[in-house]
Amino acid sequence: MAKKQEDIREFTWGRAVFLLITLVAVGFILSIIMSLFIGSDVESLSGNVAVIPVKGVILGDDGDYLFDEVVSSEEAIELIEKAAENPNIKAIILEINSPGGSPVASEEIANAIKKTNKTTVAWIREVGASGAYWVASSSDYIVASRMSITGSIGVIGSYLEFEGLVNRYNLTYRRLVSGKYKDIGDPFKELTQEEQEILQKNLDSIRDFFVEEVAKNRNMKKYEVEKAANGLFYLGEEAKKLGLIDEIGGKDEAIKFIEEKEAITAELVDYEPEKSLLDLFSDIMSKQSFNAGMGFGKALLNPNLYNKVVNQYII
Amino acid sequence: MKLNLPEDREFTGPSLLWKRVMAFLIDMLAVNFFVLIPFKPFFSELFPSDYSFSQMYAYLNSNPHFISRITIVSVFMSFMIMLYFISFEAKFRQSIGKKLMNLHVRSQSNELKLWQHFIRNILFLPIFPFILLWVLDPLFMFFSKSKQTLTEILSKTEVVQKYNF
Repeated sequence: MAKKQEDIREFTWGRAVFLLITLVAVGFILSIIMSLFIGSDVESLSGNVAVIPVKGVILGDDGDYLFDEVVSSEEAIELIEKAAENPNIKAIILEINSPGGSPVASEEIANAIKKTNKTTVAWIREVGASGAYWVASSSDYIVASRMSITGSIGVIGSYLEFEGLVNRYNLTYRRLVSGKYKDIGDPFKELTQEEQEILQKNLDSIRDFFVEEVAKNRNMKKYEVEKAANGLFYLGEEAKKLGLIDEIGGKDEAIKFIEEKEAITAELVDYEPEKSLLDLFSDIMSKQSFNAGMGFGKALLNPNLYNKVVNQYII
Repeated sequence: MKLNLPEDREFTGPSLLWKRVMAFLIDMLAVNFFVLIPFKPFFSELFPSDYSFSQMYAYLNSNPHFISRITIVSVFMSFMIMLYFISFEAKFRQSIGKKLMNLHVRSQSNELKLWQHFIRNILFLPIFPFILLWVLDPLFMFFSKSKQTLTEILSKTEVVQKYNF
């Protein structure tokens, strides 16, 4: 019994408070570690207006574009669906800053937006052109700055042709195909007139579909959209005159529209794709690279240079 | 005149049930007000406060991915509760509740080892089969001869108090 009595040590309130403070500190550290696993998701559960970014080139996946800002349609759709499923979320703001991208990926995102039963507002920042405009058009309301670049309804399918280079260096393009048009658009051979017509026909078809979709989404006549569908981009004011956007403004106007329509006080919550350590690393590298070569970067800020996917149509 | 009265004698024995219940409630309050503070924002954001039970059920059904997050938060919170009891009992042989109720933890053999502390508090893990202990553990206290809970029997520990004559 005496030995057991020795096990009981002295409890003082000073020591107890110190231990409690230590435990709370440990708790804070653990909660930070935990938020690394679920932080972005937990954030996305509060608030009543989801803000979903559509920033960068729109592509089907975010595969090999480590240092470029891209919008993966898969990720964007996942975020849209997550917001749509959350009963707390009454409306969705699409924060658009994109020059467009893949027609298929743009259509996928646009369809996901149309499927939601929430109020959707597209807030176009610097650029909401081409495929990004297709995405914007699928929302209930479009807000853009008077200096925003929008429109650019059209399709581009350009690529570099190396045939001259091949000939200059006395190289031979050995053509082995089974199927007459199998190597259509191959950069190492000259495009024939017939092939060019085929490709042009495809581009025209995609453009027609694009125009039809915008007309349907914006509740406009097809001929009205046709007027703007010459591939030109428009600044905010002109886009409003053409009916491509609803209001000149920014985030505040987008919020105001939602608050009036839904009769709520908007509490915004960012819905961001979950980021892996590699993503975080690439973000940091990307920003540092940008800062280091700002001047060079400015020269490269040409929408055509986004067309990294050779032989794919870009809208 | 000097009376030859017997001196006060002290002996340590099994604690009274109501004291144990009170000590546990006080500890839970301490845990709730201090130890779990860093985790509260996660839970308040996970659960809309103005939802009824049926709304909450529908909410979780339509958002099954929330459940995995709730599980992660629960595991971290449980770990903190275990840490509270283990650290206090390892250092003082008492938690705050036990101090206020004048109870102590002791080993039935020699010194209290870490594994004994761990087994004593394993019921806080929100994972099957440990969740069964939430029911089984206190039940043992009523039916065991030594008034020990199941985890106390397994960890060869007991909660005692001093009695004076």
